[in-house]
Amino acid sequence: MKFAVVLALAAFSLSAARAQTTQWVLEQSTLTWHIMHPMHDVDGVSHAAKGKGVCSAGFCDFLIAVPVNTFNSGDSNRDLHTIQTVRGAEFPMVIVRTRIPELETSAPSIDADLVVQFAGQTAHYSHVPFHRIQKGNEVEITGTVPATCSDFKIERPSFLTVPIHNEIPVTVDATWKQQ
Amino acid sequence: MSCHWRRNRPPKPALSLSCLLLFPLMTIAQSSGHLPDPPQPPPVVSSSLAAGASLDLPDAPLPAAQNTAPPSQNQIQSPPPSGQQPPQQSAEPSLGDLGFSPTQTQANAQLQARLNKRTHMLKLHQTLGLITLAPMAATVIVAGGAKAKRVRNADGTVTNAVIPPSDANADFHAALGSLTATMYGITAYYAIAAPKIKGVKPKGAIRLHRDLLWIHLPGMVLTPILGGMALSQEENGQKVHGIASAHGAVAWTTVTAYAASAVAVSWPIHLKF
Repeated sequence: MKFAVVLALAAFSLSAARAQTTQWVLEQSTLTWHIMHPMHDVDGVSHAAKGKGVCSAGFCDFLIAVPVNTFNSGDSNRDLHTIQTVRGAEFPMVIVRTRIPELETSAPSIDADLVVQFAGQTAHYSHVPFHRIQKGNEVEITGTVPATCSDFKIERPSFLTVPIHNEIPVTVDATWKQQ
Repeated sequence: MSCHWRRNRPPKPALSLSCLLLFPLMTIAQSSGHLPDPPQPPPVVSSSLAAGASLDLPDAPLPAAQNTAPPSQNQIQSPPPSGQQPPQQSAEPSLGDLGFSPTQTQANAQLQARLNKRTHMLKLHQTLGLITLAPMAATVIVAGGAKAKRVRNADGTVTNAVIPPSDANADFHAALGSLTATMYGITAYYAIAAPKIKGVKPKGAIRLHRDLLWIHLPGMVLTPILGGMALSQEENGQKVHGIASAHGAVAWTTVTAYAASAVAVSWPIHLKF
């Protein structure tokens, strides 16, 4: 009898855990790419990212996407040239996926493995550190994705025959809300 | 399943209780789609979180010729936390869940072709524009030799009589000016003919670059006309007068506006070596 009750409770717990999912929604975000050149340092900023996270069975799957053409560097000519260079009309979205253990969503720092689709290529970034700050019922995540032009086979634009640096780090400041 | 199987056996209260407890829970779980109907075998590729995720990438608009870069130095090699297997992929959010409009997510090959053509033509515009600076500067430098000289008296005072420039100097100046004007025209052609992208308003440094056109374009038209008039007057032994006397000022204004335009398009410049 006792064994059966324990078995039933265990089954109940397991079923409840499997059935329970929590979701996260990206409330607001600032994504900034940074390019470096001996004559220029330029930032391109987008606030148009959308994202969703689904936690189930101890893991959380996050998806963040942002249209390439929403990045603004303050110069329309440069932005159009950027879209052309990264083939942003053919591949209009930057898509980032990550899966982290659910326990890490409440940790002060998150070590994320990212899969990034951009410019028709897919790159993997392992152990990208993000900082987490709890702000009421929202969570702010900040970090930098160490992207490079070569990761996405992007031909580096040049100015006065000098190409930009290969590194194009993308800083992320994203505020998530649990639903 | 086990509940039906137990019906034919002698009733056991504990097992019946467990069946009663489990049945509604299983029903809830199935309705929310988190438990697969048939038991799934464990995923074959599950040693890497990212590898698992990459198997089910979202429905991004991808042309047929898409390449997927082989994971290089950034390849994830870390196994998942010990004792934890990644769950089934069905719960993963997809691009469609995020609410982007189709126009934002759909590939546009025509637009890409326009952007490619635009960039190609503007690169030519940039290159030719910079090259044009050379004959422009040379024209200004040799301008002194193409100018009439005032006759001076023995005591150094200037008379009204003029010595016209030598034909060689005047011709050289005129030839360089013509070359500059021709190259300027070709440079301008590539900027004007480059495809425009609808809905994009000029913003930032490119606006000043474009606005300076209203100074150097009239200057490039006026300068050779005024130069021709000035040369004609000098060849007739006259002092350059009237509107022709503005030739030098117009030329310098044009050169300044043109050079400023070249700098403006790349402004702000932060030299960092």
